[in-house]
Amino acid sequence: MTKYVKYVDVTKCDGCRACMVACKNWNDLPAEPTEFLGSAQSHAKTTADTWNVLQYIEHENGKGNLEYLFRHSSCFHCTDAACEKVCPENAISYTKYGTVVIDQDTCVGCGYCTQNCPFEVISLKEYKDKNGKEYRKAHKCTMCTDRIDEGLQPACVTTCHTGAMEFGDKDAMIQKAEQRVKEIKDRYPNAMVYNPQGVGGTHSVYVLAEKPSVYGLPDNPKVPTSAVLWKDYAQPIGKAMIGATTMAVVGAFVANKIFSKKANGHDEDGGGNHE
Amino acid sequence: MSNQQKSEVKVRRFSKAFVWAHAVNAISFFALYITALPMYTEFFNWLYPVLGGPANARLLHRIFAVVFCTPTFIWVIFDFKGFKLWMKELITWKKRDIQFFSEFVKELFGLNFKHVRQTFFNAGEKINSLIQIFTAILIIGSGIPMWFHEYFPRAVVQWGYFLHNVGFGLSIAVIVGHIYLSVVHKNSRPGYSGVVTGKVPAWWAKDHYTEWYEEEVKKGNFPNLDDPKHKKNKGA
Repeated sequence: MTKYVKYVDVTKCDGCRACMVACKNWNDLPAEPTEFLGSAQSHAKTTADTWNVLQYIEHENGKGNLEYLFRHSSCFHCTDAACEKVCPENAISYTKYGTVVIDQDTCVGCGYCTQNCPFEVISLKEYKDKNGKEYRKAHKCTMCTDRIDEGLQPACVTTCHTGAMEFGDKDAMIQKAEQRVKEIKDRYPNAMVYNPQGVGGTHSVYVLAEKPSVYGLPDNPKVPTSAVLWKDYAQPIGKAMIGATTMAVVGAFVANKIFSKKANGHDEDGGGNHE
Repeated sequence: MSNQQKSEVKVRRFSKAFVWAHAVNAISFFALYITALPMYTEFFNWLYPVLGGPANARLLHRIFAVVFCTPTFIWVIFDFKGFKLWMKELITWKKRDIQFFSEFVKELFGLNFKHVRQTFFNAGEKINSLIQIFTAILIIGSGIPMWFHEYFPRAVVQWGYFLHNVGFGLSIAVIVGHIYLSVVHKNSRPGYSGVVTGKVPAWWAKDHYTEWYEEEVKKGNFPNLDDPKHKKNKGA
């Protein structure tokens, strides 16, 4: 199956926020009124009801000039997704397109994914059932997997009027990003393709005008070592140990029965066959 | 020594404080185990509806987590002497403790074995205690940042998940053996009444904790089972 990539060229973005609106519209997400945060940016980061946020960054470049940088931020859809690894209910899975989605019916709201995502894009939402009982579910961008299923592109991509976003075949999009970086090197010497290999590459690939840290992104994001040790080692070894001790006591029980039969009528009151 | 005498004479092994501390520890551990089991393995997801849903399971897990922290305090406050003895025993290791294990393996599988002289706690109980203390520290220490994650750096919370898992895996593996020995295994089974009532059969205490028993005899606390007088008066 073809893997798809959402290509985001931040240098073409004009900060119109149509991507945010299109996302809310398609995914039926309620508005989240916020206080003034000191810039034109509407939300500090993605939330359970705001799956993409347009970042507005006032950055002083190498020449001492002000650069007004924009970035459409949302889930990266990692190839090795930490959220998928740590989910105890297998509620998070990879789709055939390479996107990472959360099954809302299976999610138990434990928050392991929110704590382990290297990009901090997943959030929990509080709900109340008809009896007033509270429960939580984890939410994030789905890359409009439901639209891809229907042969459509993600809502944010479709609505982008500057061509800053495109959606297509993974290799073609990565090539396009590399080509674009070459074109803009004169204006943005620090420009780079952001497709971090620490998480096996991502399915949202960025052309960044500046270093990742300028956008608040990790330079080398990866699945936390603790998560690898926890899920690939501690848990299977722990389960094996429970099995091993259970087998040992079952073995001991059977052996005791056999030996006490052999002892033939020896007392069974705990005095045992010793001394 | 007749069986009748064996079953009749009892001596106090544990204080009421220990009995309570042990019971609170056991019940809360078991409750924590049950309320987290569906998170540990999907095989037990049917427990979610039993526990009133994932949110309720989380709430119960937190309530029992607080209860799980109390046994040490119960023992320290109400029987500091007993607690001190436990601590002292845990750091006292002699050659006979190593010998204990080779005999214990024979005993475990029902083979002929000799009792190695032990003090109040035998070497196996000391190992069990040390592992339970270590895992309790791991589980409680990692549980705090998992619960109050907003006050801790992300890395601490992430390592907390790992350590919670390690602590749990280690402690449950040891507890399977601990419960088997106390409830099922015929030679150590009388110890079970010790943690429930505080009292154990005198002959059993003498066999399993000879040095401790003899010390108590010297102090005049326990009957001397070898004394023909005692046999005559208190036996049968």
